[in-house]
Amino acid sequence: MSREAYQVPTAVPTPGRDSFQTGLSVEGPAINYLCGDCNAKVPLKRGDPIRCKECGHRVLYKERTKRMVQFEAR
Amino acid sequence: MPPKKRVPAAATAQEEDVSMADASPAPAASPELDYDIEIDDQRIRILPGASDTAASFEFKKEDHTLGNALRYIIMKNPDVEFCGYSIPHPSEELMNIRIQTYEGTTAVDALEKGFSDLMDLCDVVSEKFQEERLNFIDQMKA
Amino acid sequence: MAPYQPSQTELDRRKIVGINAETVTDVSSTDYPGHYPGEDQSWDKYKFEDNFSVKIYKNEPMESSFSLIGIDAAVANAFRRIMIAEIPSLAIETVFVNNNTSIIQDEVLSARLGLVPFKGSKQGLLEFLKWNDSEGEERNDVDHNTVLLELKIKCTRNEAAAKGETDPLKAYHNAHVYAKDIVFKPYGRQRNYFSGEDVIRPTNPDILIAKLRPGQEIDVEMHAIKGVGSDHAKYSPVATASYRLLPTISILKPILGKDAEKFARCFPKGVIGLETVTKKEAAKKGSGYEGHEGEKKAVVKDAMKDTVSRECLRHEEFEGKVKLGRVRDHFIFSVESVGQWDSDELFLESVKILKGKCEVLKKSLTNMVR
Repeated sequence: MSREAYQVPTAVPTPGRDSFQTGLSVEGPAINYLCGDCNAKVPLKRGDPIRCKECGHRVLYKERTKRMVQFEAR
Repeated sequence: MPPKKRVPAAATAQEEDVSMADASPAPAASPELDYDIEIDDQRIRILPGASDTAASFEFKKEDHTLGNALRYIIMKNPDVEFCGYSIPHPSEELMNIRIQTYEGTTAVDALEKGFSDLMDLCDVVSEKFQEERLNFIDQMKA
Repeated sequence: MAPYQPSQTELDRRKIVGINAETVTDVSSTDYPGHYPGEDQSWDKYKFEDNFSVKIYKNEPMESSFSLIGIDAAVANAFRRIMIAEIPSLAIETVFVNNNTSIIQDEVLSARLGLVPFKGSKQGLLEFLKWNDSEGEERNDVDHNTVLLELKIKCTRNEAAAKGETDPLKAYHNAHVYAKDIVFKPYGRQRNYFSGEDVIRPTNPDILIAKLRPGQEIDVEMHAIKGVGSDHAKYSPVATASYRLLPTISILKPILGKDAEKFARCFPKGVIGLETVTKKEAAKKGSGYEGHEGEKKAVVKDAMKDTVSRECLRHEEFEGKVKLGRVRDHFIFSVESVGQWDSDELFLESVKILKGKCEVLKKSLTNMVR
């Protein structure tokens, strides 16, 4: 069978991708995101719904890196 | 023209031309002009095909600034039959000066005299400017 | 045979570049040996010294204007080019962004910071601070070539502001980030040179660098080094360094009455003046003033103020009555510093650098021939 061929979805959830649908969440560290609407901090763990806890907005942004970044001033 | 950053000596040695093999060690740096000039580097070379009275000199890291000024002062030398300068390619920091002299002197001597004359000119300009600046200060006070 | 000595009028005539309505004439210098048969045009330091003069019109730290008279364009241009591209000055070269949550991107912010001009102790900047060539030196010993600057600023709400305040500058603290917010962090021997009045600071404190809103912050460290304008324009110590040739206006035939007024209007204010034709002039045969006593005539008051717009050449009534020109060896320089150098020092430094170039290359030449 060629790899490109269509595969019928199986009932077995793929870990990570489908986990939030099945409620089978794997605990991990909470990562902070920023709400695109109200700018609130939204800590999310793996499997959490992507949604602001304050306003329900569904667009979240990553926080800026805490590392120093070097630039040439030209 | 001053370099952006000085290249380590080892790196420069490799890009040097064959004629550089017999170059003698660079003279000591003069303390006053430390930032401007790369001393540890031979910056003039005579292009192939030169004779005593006619030669082309290739200057590294020079441009119209020195090229045209030097051309002018060398053309003021009555022993010089022809002098012209060119920048063969805009993205190479090279400037060529062509000097042809009449019999009795050499192109190298003409170039050397050019440098001396241009230095004399600079001295005169500097002196006169400072003189006039003092005059101007007195005038302003009056 | 002694060299032929041309008359002063002939020498003056040779100095003029002609300007016609659409063309220019006698553009190139002719003062080379062999150009005029029998004349001695060779370089002579003392002859040059006698002919060369400087005239200063304005000499302020930030701006100066002066004339170099009796010098060739090749050399005058060399000085101008050196002032723009080869005199070293201090500017920010590297930006270390610890945090930047403003809407201005890191690289854009860095580029803007690089263009901010700085000033400080003249002695420290010009003598103590050296070209950044720390190759092979002790790593801790960088106080003589690198200047550390910081910009740490955070925007917050102004609780004291009136309700419904719409001006961001009043409603928030630090809504605008200015050049004056950049702080100099001296280390090593830098404290000896840059303290009190002489601290390194932006020349123009009110340059707007970024705008912030509450919650946004900028936290950057910067390294400033010495560089030259040929590397990047931010290192150029001049805002402008330019010259123009002194204009000449010769009125060949009298321009009188209404024409004189119109003629004056062809030039900027103060270039052409109006005078009354005197009895004596009117009495003189062949002067063109006969029978015009008491009328207005146009006279050249100050040709230097002229912009050489050539407007007077567009009117029929002035045809053949006026000749415009420029003096080929009279350079009116205008040097505007950005603050690190005094403008007159900039010119002297350009002369010094040209001489230094010759010195080093002359050595290099002797070295090569040997």
